Amino acid sequence: MSVIPRLQFEGISKMFPAVRALGDVSFSVGGGEIHGLLGENGAGKSTLLRILSGVYRPTAGRVLIDGRPVALNNPVAARAAGVAMIHQELQQVPHLSVAQNMFLGHPLTRGGIFVARREQERRAAEALAAIDPTIDPAAPLGSLKVAQRQIVEIARALLDRARIVAMDEPTSSLTPSEFERLAEVIAGLARDGVAVVYVSHKLDEVFGICHRATIMRDGVVVDSVNLARVSEKAVVSMMVGRELAQEQHRSHASSEVRLSVRGLASATKVHDVSFDLHRGEVLGIAGLVGSGRTELLRLLAGADRASSGTVEIDGRAIKLSNPRDAIAAGIGLVPEERKREGIVPLRSISSNMALASMGVFAPRGVIDHTRLKRVAAEKMKRVNLRPFLLDRPIRLFSGGNQQKAIIGRWLAAGTRILLFDEPTRGIDVGVKAEIYHLIEELAAEGHSVVVVSSELPEVIRLADRVLVMRDGTVAAELGRADLSEQAIAAHAIPQSEARAGTARHVGVTDRTSG
Amino acid sequence: MTDVTEHTAARPRADFLHRFSVRDAGTLIGLVVILAVFGALVPGFFAERNLINILQQSSINACLALGMTLVIISGGIDLSVGPTAALSAVISASMLVAGVPFPLAIAAGFAIGLVCGLLNGVLVAYVGLQPFIVTLGTLSTYRALALIYTGGNPVLGLPAGFRAIFNGSLFGLPLAVIIVAVVALIAWVILKKTPFGEYLLAVGGNEEAAYIAGVPIARTKIAAYMISGLLAALAAQILIGRLGAAEPILGNLWELDAIAAAAIGGASLMGGKGSVVGTILGAVILGTMRNGLTLMNVQSFYQLLATGLIILAAMLIDRVTRGRG
Repeated sequence: MSVIPRLQFEGISKMFPAVRALGDVSFSVGGGEIHGLLGENGAGKSTLLRILSGVYRPTAGRVLIDGRPVALNNPVAARAAGVAMIHQELQQVPHLSVAQNMFLGHPLTRGGIFVARREQERRAAEALAAIDPTIDPAAPLGSLKVAQRQIVEIARALLDRARIVAMDEPTSSLTPSEFERLAEVIAGLARDGVAVVYVSHKLDEVFGICHRATIMRDGVVVDSVNLARVSEKAVVSMMVGRELAQEQHRSHASSEVRLSVRGLASATKVHDVSFDLHRGEVLGIAGLVGSGRTELLRLLAGADRASSGTVEIDGRAIKLSNPRDAIAAGIGLVPEERKREGIVPLRSISSNMALASMGVFAPRGVIDHTRLKRVAAEKMKRVNLRPFLLDRPIRLFSGGNQQKAIIGRWLAAGTRILLFDEPTRGIDVGVKAEIYHLIEELAAEGHSVVVVSSELPEVIRLADRVLVMRDGTVAAELGRADLSEQAIAAHAIPQSEARAGTARHVGVTDRTSG
Repeated sequence: MTDVTEHTAARPRADFLHRFSVRDAGTLIGLVVILAVFGALVPGFFAERNLINILQQSSINACLALGMTLVIISGGIDLSVGPTAALSAVISASMLVAGVPFPLAIAAGFAIGLVCGLLNGVLVAYVGLQPFIVTLGTLSTYRALALIYTGGNPVLGLPAGFRAIFNGSLFGLPLAVIIVAVVALIAWVILKKTPFGEYLLAVGGNEEAAYIAGVPIARTKIAAYMISGLLAALAAQILIGRLGAAEPILGNLWELDAIAAAAIGGASLMGGKGSVVGTILGAVILGTMRNGLTLMNVQSFYQLLATGLIILAAMLIDRVTRGRG
């Protein structure tokens, strides 16, 4: 590592009308360093990345690369200065080839007119060879898996001879072995002297691959720390600004069977799933992305149709041909992709809440707005909506509060079986605890809850019992006594991936074995 | 703006003002400015007769635009309103000429509108075709049916009694204006006070989320197209009542005026957003422009230009003011 840091933020401030997004942010990242950037939503991480990639200009302060101040006035200038940005939602064109995507916006040409497609593919292949030679530069990008697309983005950064690579939540949808591959590639970048800025919500990942990390809160830097010398718990309290109480699991499950599923299957992703869900029980469903967890929930919520199998509620068989059937039977889904499947963004909190129970609010065809307002106030108090503005469009609320409104929707509809798909995806650490608390209270009141989650600590924190899914079916059932991350992982990972999976838990220091 | 609700909820008057959205206020200001300009430039513009004229001239477009607004809110579009009106008109007219009782002939015209809308809705909601393409297809189809049915000839000689129904007036206002005002009131109630209104906004705002929340997606969309078809048929009855004849080519380009009125009034072609009050104001703005420019003896080319500029200006103002949430 050289003495002059590769990347330096010096007193960066960013003011928006009436809001200070960043205040006097200073830290540096050396060449060859992988630097984690941590903080809750709204802490200023994204604003800082946007300044680094030339989307925003700072109100005060400057960015130095290799000790020299650089003017990152627009994305093109940032790219020219050697900054490559790898976005959370990949900004690629699926219909174009891998090579075309890598040269998007600045294609190689012959005589400035014709695109030199062959030459692009040759250069793309060269860049890819260093990290993943199995990717065909001529293949349409859409045919690649998400993990491979990430690799393509990184190869594109190599092609640009980037000296700084900023990654925003790159692993949100990767399997353990894919993550392992990505971690290797990132380590490779660092070995070549690139400074990597790595933004992620997943602390175990940051601890696994980063050397140092900067923790931000409310637009300012709390501290920059050497990750070898601090605990995860200490980092969390820096992010949240207070100690998070460690809560103990408490079970409210009764012996009364509420939901009984037998031999449930869909055309493709779910095969022969059977289980019982009791009154007051929180049933966790773990498994890798693609193991059929989301698909199972969608079958139970009536969003997709089962090809075979039966579902009984309180001993009575029910038909689930659309979500209305499920809602009538007392089942409600809190989906993973809140923006796409949960909220109607332009509508108010009240409207979003009432959507699943319009019949109740309009017994004679006309909506009783007085009653709707009263129920909305009651339910939103129950879920602790903040700020408590029921007529405000839901899009203006944070992810955590949107989630609370969706939960309120099912409470208003009198739902007795709540299906949560990744209940805290994209939700701040502080609000996470609130959602956990809410789920427990709902169970205590006699609701039956299913929680699908990729975060093993979350499953272990919440579940009375865990089903581990693999390849569309239930691979194991674990009671509270047998519950551990290792036990879940052992059942979740197909045999061929078992070695890579355990490597992930050991951490990237072990990467030579891969 | 939304932050004040807690204080105003108790007071019905303030509540009413609250419901009258900022966007609608903007459209109203636009109308007032346009009225003021013509008032200054055109002598006698504010004469009671001319103002009633404007309302009368706007009524058919307003009627269509109300249906269009509901369809646009649901995330769709209905390009077939003109031909739907034509088909409804020629069938009602030929029944009237053949001596069929008025209520029956009018009901038949409405039924045609409903069936046309039903077909659009089924193709969109169940077959899953894109609304633009579906209604582009039915635009030609319905027009062709009207032409084939009449052999391309107008249906002339509607009974005087029928004409009297739509040409009468009440409280000094033309009956057509009153009918459309009632329709607007019903549309406002539907959008603001019924589950169907909420469903329209939800389906257009986020279909996937609406589906998961149990909203009957297909029924909601089909109902929107059927209302649009019904209102096209109503517009047709008003027109043939006024003209005393039904031409198979009537209603040419009506869909564009209707879309323009809805868009000026704040409807988003992305769906999930739109206002009944805004659409009515939008239709009156377009009617006022036409009336004022005609009184000023401006060539029709320039009238077209003015209409185009008004639409673009409305969209630009929308764009500029959007950021303030």
